[in-house]
Amino acid sequence: MVEAARPRWNGRLLAGGLVVLLVVSTLTVRLVQLQIGQHQQLAAAGVETRVHRVVLEADRGVVYDRHGVRLAGNAPAWALSMLPAALPANAVARQSELAQVARLAGVAEPSLGQLLLKAPDLYLPVTVKSGLSAEQSQAIAERLPQLPGFQLDQTPLRTYADWEDFGHVLGYTNRLDSDEYARLKNLGYLPDDTAGKAGVEAGLEVLLRGRNGWADVETNAAGLPMRTLAQDPPVAGDSVYLSIDAGLQQAVGQYLREGIQSAGVRAGAAIVVDPRDGELLALVSAPSYDPNQFAAGISAAAYQRLLQDPAKPLYDRALAGLYPPGSTFKMITAAAGLQDGKIGADSVLPCPAGITYGGWTYRNWAGYDMGQMNVEKAIAVSCDTFFYRVADSVGDMSLAAYARDFGYGSAPIFEIPGAQAGLVPDEAWQAAQCQATEAPGCRWNPGETLTMGIGQSALLTSPLIQAMYVSAIANGGTLLQPTVVSQVRTPGGRVAATAQAKPVSTVPVSPANLEVVREGMRQCLQAPYGTGFLFRNDRFKYDGGCKTGSAQYGGSGTDLPLHAWFTFFSPYDHPEIAIVVLVEGGGEGHDTAEPVAVKIADYYYSHRAQILGTQS
Amino acid sequence: MVRRADLTQALTLAALVVLGLMTLFSTSRADFASQVGGVAAGLLLYVAAAAFDYRRLQPAAPYLYGLALLLLITVEVAGHTAYGAQRWMRVAGLQVEPSEIAKLLVLVALAAFLARRETAGRREVLMLGVLGLPPTLLVLYQPDLGTAIVFASLLLGLLFLAGAPRLVLASILAGVAVAVPLLPHLLRGYQRQRLQIFLDPSQDPLGAGYNLIQARIAVGSGGIFGQGWLHGLQGQLGYIPERTSDFVFAVYAEEFGLLGSLLLLGLFTILLYRVARAAAVAPDRFGFLLCAGAAVILFTQVVQNIGMNVGLTPIAGIPLPFISHGRSALLTYLVMLGLVQSVVLRRPLVSPGPAGRVPLTESGTIRLPV
Repeated sequence: MVEAARPRWNGRLLAGGLVVLLVVSTLTVRLVQLQIGQHQQLAAAGVETRVHRVVLEADRGVVYDRHGVRLAGNAPAWALSMLPAALPANAVARQSELAQVARLAGVAEPSLGQLLLKAPDLYLPVTVKSGLSAEQSQAIAERLPQLPGFQLDQTPLRTYADWEDFGHVLGYTNRLDSDEYARLKNLGYLPDDTAGKAGVEAGLEVLLRGRNGWADVETNAAGLPMRTLAQDPPVAGDSVYLSIDAGLQQAVGQYLREGIQSAGVRAGAAIVVDPRDGELLALVSAPSYDPNQFAAGISAAAYQRLLQDPAKPLYDRALAGLYPPGSTFKMITAAAGLQDGKIGADSVLPCPAGITYGGWTYRNWAGYDMGQMNVEKAIAVSCDTFFYRVADSVGDMSLAAYARDFGYGSAPIFEIPGAQAGLVPDEAWQAAQCQATEAPGCRWNPGETLTMGIGQSALLTSPLIQAMYVSAIANGGTLLQPTVVSQVRTPGGRVAATAQAKPVSTVPVSPANLEVVREGMRQCLQAPYGTGFLFRNDRFKYDGGCKTGSAQYGGSGTDLPLHAWFTFFSPYDHPEIAIVVLVEGGGEGHDTAEPVAVKIADYYYSHRAQILGTQS
Repeated sequence: MVRRADLTQALTLAALVVLGLMTLFSTSRADFASQVGGVAAGLLLYVAAAAFDYRRLQPAAPYLYGLALLLLITVEVAGHTAYGAQRWMRVAGLQVEPSEIAKLLVLVALAAFLARRETAGRREVLMLGVLGLPPTLLVLYQPDLGTAIVFASLLLGLLFLAGAPRLVLASILAGVAVAVPLLPHLLRGYQRQRLQIFLDPSQDPLGAGYNLIQARIAVGSGGIFGQGWLHGLQGQLGYIPERTSDFVFAVYAEEFGLLGSLLLLGLFTILLYRVARAAAVAPDRFGFLLCAGAAVILFTQVVQNIGMNVGLTPIAGIPLPFISHGRSALLTYLVMLGLVQSVVLRRPLVSPGPAGRVPLTESGTIRLPV
């Protein structure tokens, strides 16, 4: 039996052993520290690294016309996004990749660097560009394998039909800027989010938006999703059926543009409203802009072009454009005179070429004496001198009060944001103005009362206010809230809301007096002397009432430019449409605005069954 | 003969190899498959090295040293680049990392040189420095900081264990202490960057700092019991960089937890103890230095690798012996430990008896006390 020799441990081997024990103890302490002490914290950091809450975007609600014609929807499109963590770690490689992507996607290279710097989480994808063109997405898709950190996602792109006619009604969605995000983040909006910025898109944002969902997705280091740990599915936005009739809207848009063009001017607006319930059948402001441009992310240059266009295409004249009403205001002066007892239905007043008041001469539009006439004919022929007298006897305060009763001076409550209030001047308003400006000798000039009687002075109104004013005359005295929405449906198709007429007030004018005013408008349309003579052609067989307007603007002077107005309702007994046409700087109302209204009315009556037909 | 072998060493080794294969299986099936081939070849070489009389290496030492330099120069000229360093080359279709093989060759050469005299005086220290410098500089030039650290430790460790004068050792240590602060200036771009990022990982969370942060997260996520084999998410999902080589420990620690980490550390400690013990029973000074040097190499690699995985030492690409993927390294360590076995097998024996312990000659004949 033999056994091994005993090991000869020398001092230095033992010292080495001591070093080993020391170091192994140190490693042990460190492991305990990491795996017990910091376990929770590091495990949480791990979860944070690999699990990301991604937003499941809700489909935005679709916008239809009153019969279900699709006006705004979501088209499949590609968006390029970037996962910062998966970009090349090498700075030079990263830069050259960013430069390549900037070129492919058509975005500025510095903005790409900005996105990277602002990224809150390296593992959260950042949208670089949505709504890529077909060529762009294809070019990127081909090179994608050589572009680590970038991916193409299929994200719906908001698309709008026929922008020339629907631009202002529909508006557009656009990415939030930092101010808007700060305001909206409590409502669940994300930094990268889009929201309606104008038109119905903005006004009905709450309905259309739906509710975003989320999913906690575990991704691998390359950013590929591996599994979903938890999710809350999104709820799509409601669908909105507008009261607009797509065909009528397009016809109105076309006629208005033709009218603007033949008048040699740039802009105008036209509205068709149902005076029974305040539902707008057409709402056009020209020129328009292309909302599709915004949905895909408008370039700074294109946006500047829109801002600097002298025709101001972004400006919704139908709601926000303010103009003196001119002669279209005369129905209010007539109603005020009748209701205040200053004139009767049978009162006959002269219509001279001019009257002298306070040392000034106030002229009629016609340079000759038009003879004696009652109020009905005065409306029909639009006699200025007749209404100077009536306004003077009614007085500015009472006249202003009637104007407000017909909706002047307050912004209509409306689904589309931006409706303006306009202005109703009177002594009280003048006093407030004078106090503010402290101009010497500032006071209400009684002559202003006269010119207010024919819709001048400082009076300002919008086409939308005009539409509701004409509707109130047409429907027998009810001022209605305008609406552009006829129905709201949930994603499941259930009807969530249906439009109902919302009366604002009843005009304080007796039915008999209002009937006198209506009769004046009928004569305007049908009497041989009426200014609405263009309607008296063989094709137009329907009755109703109208009023032309040629509103002076641009300060004082004898040869002031004119805004052309035309207001209309039909049929006479139970009116179902009211039309307002404005041609900005278009001259005489009967020259430029009326032909547009004639064509609109023609279209309406030739498509009446279709337009009023039951909704699908 | 087998009964005289160090079975504890062999079993520890087997356990480490199995844990290594399990970890590779969990992260990369391709690396696992190629490593299995390495293990098979390695075991054959291990047995062969044990059977081989290590003493026959001593006269061949100068040639082995020359071969080491030749390998390191060849890889510099004809090698491929990985992570900014020329580390490996292709030989007969196989990927070879010459710096791994050079570790063993340099060890043999230095041990053989020091074994020529019973003590290590100033002359030996100087000569050892002269012999150690070329391979160290060659790997630094690649640049492969990790292997350079291994060579430097080997030099220092051998001198210490060979009995170099304390004063000499103390002055060398003092020199190192002065040189280390200068290191950042001497290092190449990416090495300097790695060192700086070790000091502050948040400096570059996307680049090199990412490795450190992710390794730490994975180790910490393991907790006490680990996420379970094949279930370490940070490793499985690829968040750990170089997860089959430099950072394989992080993968292991995430899946096997603190208990697994301590098991691994324990196995390495046992292995080190067995190799040191082999040095203590070695029949001659060459065997002693061979085993002592092998212990120094193993120790340095384990400490540097685990250290960087837990954020205690800077990132210097160094594999974890028996665990990391890499056949050159695996074969080198197995041959090295086979040679340690060869030393153990040739240790002197005594027979118990009234006369006391009597050393046996290697042929087994008893030299009777006269």
